[in-house]
Amino acid sequence: MPLLVLGANSLIAQAASANFAEAGHEIIFAGRNKEELSKIAGDFNIRYKVNCLTEYFDALDYANHRKFVETVFTISPELNYALIVFGYLGTQEKAQSDFTEAHKIINSNYTGVVSACELIAAEFESRKKGSIAIISSVAGDRGRQSNYMYGSAKAGLSAYSQGLRNRLFKSGVNVLTIKPGFVDTPMTYGMPLPKLLVASPKKVGKDIYKAMIKGKNVIYTPFYWWWIMKIVKSIPETIFKKLKL
Amino acid sequence: MKKLAEVELSGFGKFPKAVCQVSRPLNIDEIRGYLNESSVTPRGLGRSYGDAALNEKGIVTESVLMNRFLSFDESRGIVKCEAGVTYKDLLDTFVLKGWFPPVTPGTKYVTIGGAIASDVHGKNHHIDGSISNFVKSFKILSASGEILKCSRTQNSDLFWATVGGMGLTGFITEAEIQLKKVDSQYINNKTLKLHNIDELFEKFEEFNEDYLYSVAWLDTVASGSKYGRNILYLGNHSSYNKLPEKFKNKSRERFIEKKIAVPFEIPFATLNKLSVTMFNAAIYMKEKNVEDYLHYDKYFYPLDFILNWNHIYSKNGLIQYQLNVPEEEGKEAIDKILKKVVAYGGGSFLAVLKKMGDQNGILSFPFKGYTLSMDFPVRKGVIQMCKQLDAIVLDYDGRTYLTKDSILDETTFKKMYDGLWQKWLEIKIKYDPYYKFSSNLGRRIGLCPS
Ligand SMILES: Cc1cc2nc3c(=O)[nH]c(=O)nc-3n(C[C@H](O)[C@H](O)[C@H](O)COP(=O)(O)OP(=O)(O)OC[C@H]3O[C@@H](n4cnc5c(N)ncnc54)[C@H](O)[C@@H]3O)c2cc1C
Ligand SMILES: NC(=O)c1ccc[n+]([C@@H]2O[C@H](COP(=O)([O-])OP(=O)(O)OC[C@H]3O[C@@H](n4cnc5c(N)ncnc54)[C@H](OP(=O)(O)O)[C@@H]3O)[C@@H](O)[C@H]2O)c1
Repeated sequence: MPLLVLGANSLIAQAASANFAEAGHEIIFAGRNKEELSKIAGDFNIRYKVNCLTEYFDALDYANHRKFVETVFTISPELNYALIVFGYLGTQEKAQSDFTEAHKIINSNYTGVVSACELIAAEFESRKKGSIAIISSVAGDRGRQSNYMYGSAKAGLSAYSQGLRNRLFKSGVNVLTIKPGFVDTPMTYGMPLPKLLVASPKKVGKDIYKAMIKGKNVIYTPFYWWWIMKIVKSIPETIFKKLKL
Repeated sequence: MKKLAEVELSGFGKFPKAVCQVSRPLNIDEIRGYLNESSVTPRGLGRSYGDAALNEKGIVTESVLMNRFLSFDESRGIVKCEAGVTYKDLLDTFVLKGWFPPVTPGTKYVTIGGAIASDVHGKNHHIDGSISNFVKSFKILSASGEILKCSRTQNSDLFWATVGGMGLTGFITEAEIQLKKVDSQYINNKTLKLHNIDELFEKFEEFNEDYLYSVAWLDTVASGSKYGRNILYLGNHSSYNKLPEKFKNKSRERFIEKKIAVPFEIPFATLNKLSVTMFNAAIYMKEKNVEDYLHYDKYFYPLDFILNWNHIYSKNGLIQYQLNVPEEEGKEAIDKILKKVVAYGGGSFLAVLKKMGDQNGILSFPFKGYTLSMDFPVRKGVIQMCKQLDAIVLDYDGRTYLTKDSILDETTFKKMYDGLWQKWLEIKIKYDPYYKFSSNLGRRIGLCPS
């Protein structure tokens, strides 16, 4: 059954897709850079012998989302999995003084997902089948001074996916919330992160695939982020607000 | 957009180390940007041993994210791919389709770009030559920012300067490679336990024509009556029909590697004289004169299943010393070198001796003769010992392998590659007059100004 990937140019997206492709699922790569997407599709075709399609998609171009979703279900009527990957870290400091940056962070991580995902959800709901996975982040579990613009958008996204899961349950459509920790992608490249805590896109992609196939609700990936965030969340606010995080 | 990380880098030998500005470009435009502001060193997976892929005076650009297959002609076995594609990718993708890398180094964690830049050789060099024999063409981002297509007929000077050119002529972006047709995943292997070098050189002559793969393991510790004992491994790709029944199913299944890790650098030297002696003795004891079938992964990449196995050399790292001496007087030269190493007493954990075929690229390491590769933990006295080996190698008109090297000085290098480096430099200057492509290795051996 085919998989639709929104934000397919991300390494996490490609790693998760590779697992689907190995298992023989057809893939529709959607994103802003058509040229890169066709390269990915060609590469997947050679590696995994699966049929891959590409479709232009811009998360911020809300007006075209309906047309996009209609097209996707037309070219791939059996579409059963949707993986929503796109996101934008942005620059916290810039966002504090420049609302355009803050707005872009919020829209790329939250509004854009809501706009596109509702349309996919409606289609799956009416078919009474399907599976949606949304990449949020551990950054949404607690706001920190170093990235609360991004974190708050991801927090919104976590709550959004939670509500959507609740709504679609009765239609037999699964919604998975994915909360990665640090992942070694262009988003984090060059940042001074603790090496031992940075996972490969491959590892995260595999976790995502397994969770989607199993119909899980929420995953932290790698799993130990569940423990880390449990501790982070348990710190009393009176102390937390004084920390340099 | 450019993004740099400051990283302490080294090659596989973990010696030497250097703090470098490293980028992991997603596209060629990003590299063009770096070329405008500083010198650039291409880097693949860092499996060269020394400082070939280091640049502390500029930017290191990794190819790992440019790793896509671009096309595959299944009937002819011709693959076109980006430079960051690895041997593991090739194997995972094509072995089941009946196609094998035509020339493979002893690890599958090597990129195509790195393989071309080192013009790597495998156990089949005596018959097939090095990888460049199978490179139909490649594209390279040159210092001017232009992408040039190179082949035997197009920009052929740059083609021959780039294979074996150690990344100093430009950033290879993609290549077109002819794969080798195979019928199974197994190698039909013949093991010969031999007593000395004379016997080995006889067997090379007796068997090398009949076996595509031929390589000998050499005991570099044993002395006295055991001096020079060795084991010769000969192999051919097995046809499916000849395989023993128990391997037939496996040969048609996707191979999945199970891995273990050496999680951290062992703080003390694991490899002392005693352990190396015992290890060498154990290898010799263990092997028997047999003919059997080995899966390609075991045959070609016996150490890959241990992640980071170079950690066993402690944090001081290791020096890999690989030399090639001409066929004529080759045995004498190898004998002299082995005597020196045995006398040094440091022994080599793994020493490999092989007969080589003809030379390809201008700076390509292999030429008709014998190659010996050894590794020594970095410790007091080892560099001096290697310098003494250099003198013997030079005496016999031989040379050492740049992709393994971390100790050559300019004078010695220029003697070893005399006549060649001058020819190479002319082409380098034609395409890169301002030395935009440079590396620690290039500067150390005087191919680039420091
Ligand atoms: C266990 C082990 C076994 C080995 N066995 C063999 C063997 O049997 N035969 C053999 O020949 N070699 C062997 N090697 C050496 C290895 O094959 C070479 O060093 C190879 O070049 C490493 O490729 P890499 O992708 O890691 O490149 P790096 O080590 O990252 O780079 C090596 C060189 O290639 C250049 N380079 C890398 N990518 C590009 C690019 N895109 N464009 C231009 N230049 C580029 C770099 O500048 C550098 O000079 C072995 C190495 C190991 C660790
Ligand atoms: N890396 C981490 O440590 C980490 C941790 C937790 C969560 N995450 C989340 O994981 C997801 C993937 O991130 P990544 O690490 O792979 O980062 P990445 O390399 O920056 O990938 C982000 C992807 O989102 C796409 N995108 C951004 N804005 C878009 C838009 N308006 N329309 C369409 N696509 C858009 C980008 O497309 P282009 O290629 O066209 O730019 C890019 O492919 C993101 O949601 C991120 O927030 C990452």
